[in-house]
Amino acid sequence: MKDKFITALAEALEMEDNEIKMEDTFRDYDTYDSLSELSILAMLDSDFGIELEMNEYNTYLTVGDLYKRVSSSK
Amino acid sequence: MALFSFNNIGISGMSGAVPKNVINNYEYDVFFPKEEIKEVVDKIGVKERRFADENTCASDLCYAAAEDLLNGMNVNRDEIDLLIFISQTPDYRMPATSILLQNRLGLSRSAIAFDISLGCSAFLYGLSVAYSMIASGAVKKALILDGETRSKVYSQKDRKTAFLFGDAGIAALIEKNDKFGTSWFSLNSDGEREDLIKIPAGGYRNMSSAETLKEKVVDEYGNMRSDEHGYMNGADVFNFVLREIPKDFKRLVEYAGVDTSTVDYFVFHQANQYINGLVAKKLKLADEKIPSTVHKYGNTSSVSIPLTIVSELKDKLNKHSRLLLCGFGVGLSWGTAIIDVDNCYVGNVVEV
Repeated sequence: MKDKFITALAEALEMEDNEIKMEDTFRDYDTYDSLSELSILAMLDSDFGIELEMNEYNTYLTVGDLYKRVSSSK
Repeated sequence: MALFSFNNIGISGMSGAVPKNVINNYEYDVFFPKEEIKEVVDKIGVKERRFADENTCASDLCYAAAEDLLNGMNVNRDEIDLLIFISQTPDYRMPATSILLQNRLGLSRSAIAFDISLGCSAFLYGLSVAYSMIASGAVKKALILDGETRSKVYSQKDRKTAFLFGDAGIAALIEKNDKFGTSWFSLNSDGEREDLIKIPAGGYRNMSSAETLKEKVVDEYGNMRSDEHGYMNGADVFNFVLREIPKDFKRLVEYAGVDTSTVDYFVFHQANQYINGLVAKKLKLADEKIPSTVHKYGNTSSVSIPLTIVSELKDKLNKHSRLLLCGFGVGLSWGTAIIDVDNCYVGNVVEV
């Protein structure tokens, strides 16, 4: 589950799996912008069946925050 | 719950028009460097679009499309008793542009004419109004003119919208005929999300002033626009589309009792290639049944559905065919329709 999430997030951000750490603030990644944000939203929807409103999404700051949301919905 | 159906009313002919000025998006480096543009354009899939010049309005594009249609079908203009002009870029704040077009096209003074002000969902609303007035017996032949010059709405210095939109117009003739069979509509509105896509000033809530015309930096990326430019909160709109559109699609299909394998073409609003691809994937639809024009005309708001039909299905509607149409956008407003066409006249995409 965790590996699947990291791989999917890395793909959305055009990064390598090993560049992503749970404690990272994902908006600080160099490749994070309004376009990759859409890729993350699409990834959450298609890979994990999670439809997030932006005001909820905006409360998640770290990779770990996002993973917690993904893993708790299963 | 706005779910409803009509019998034996349909589109008998359509034509389109676009400005002749082609914008090559990869080369459109007026305010942004090419490498940055490439990333955006690759993602949204809008390779080219058309921009109207300063003297060309949505009505001019519709007029050209209407002339192509009425001449091509050899329609007696006295028989047209309803003209609906759909746009959010009208000629004036008043009078309604539909009335100007009634005169310009030489339609009868006893014709009904009015405007519908909606965005990307509007073609479905226009159809439903024309179908209703024909079903009531008030009208025999209706002309829908749907045009937009969205290039004039959005700031070219706001990269969230600068590469998406293009200009176009269409004309569609609606009439009664037993050959059409049943059509089904689902129409929806959500004003709670009015802020997602908006031109905040220039109406009567925030009237035009020197202040509203001032260009300002609006975010941390340095994007610039005035309050009289349109803006779009892309991520929220994206979420709305991914969530509501497949839901509405399924709701209408269930209401109509139509097997989607009997649908010949699924024509979606051409928002951008990325979101349209995701919606199609979510609905598990076959690519070859989804015509697309977003690569060459961009997002033309309400015009994109009928423009895609005229441009891509020209030689494919000469038999009985079933179309599923799906529009979504500013309002928020969205809808789905299943309509049958039968030997539909499809004219040209005229260049103006």
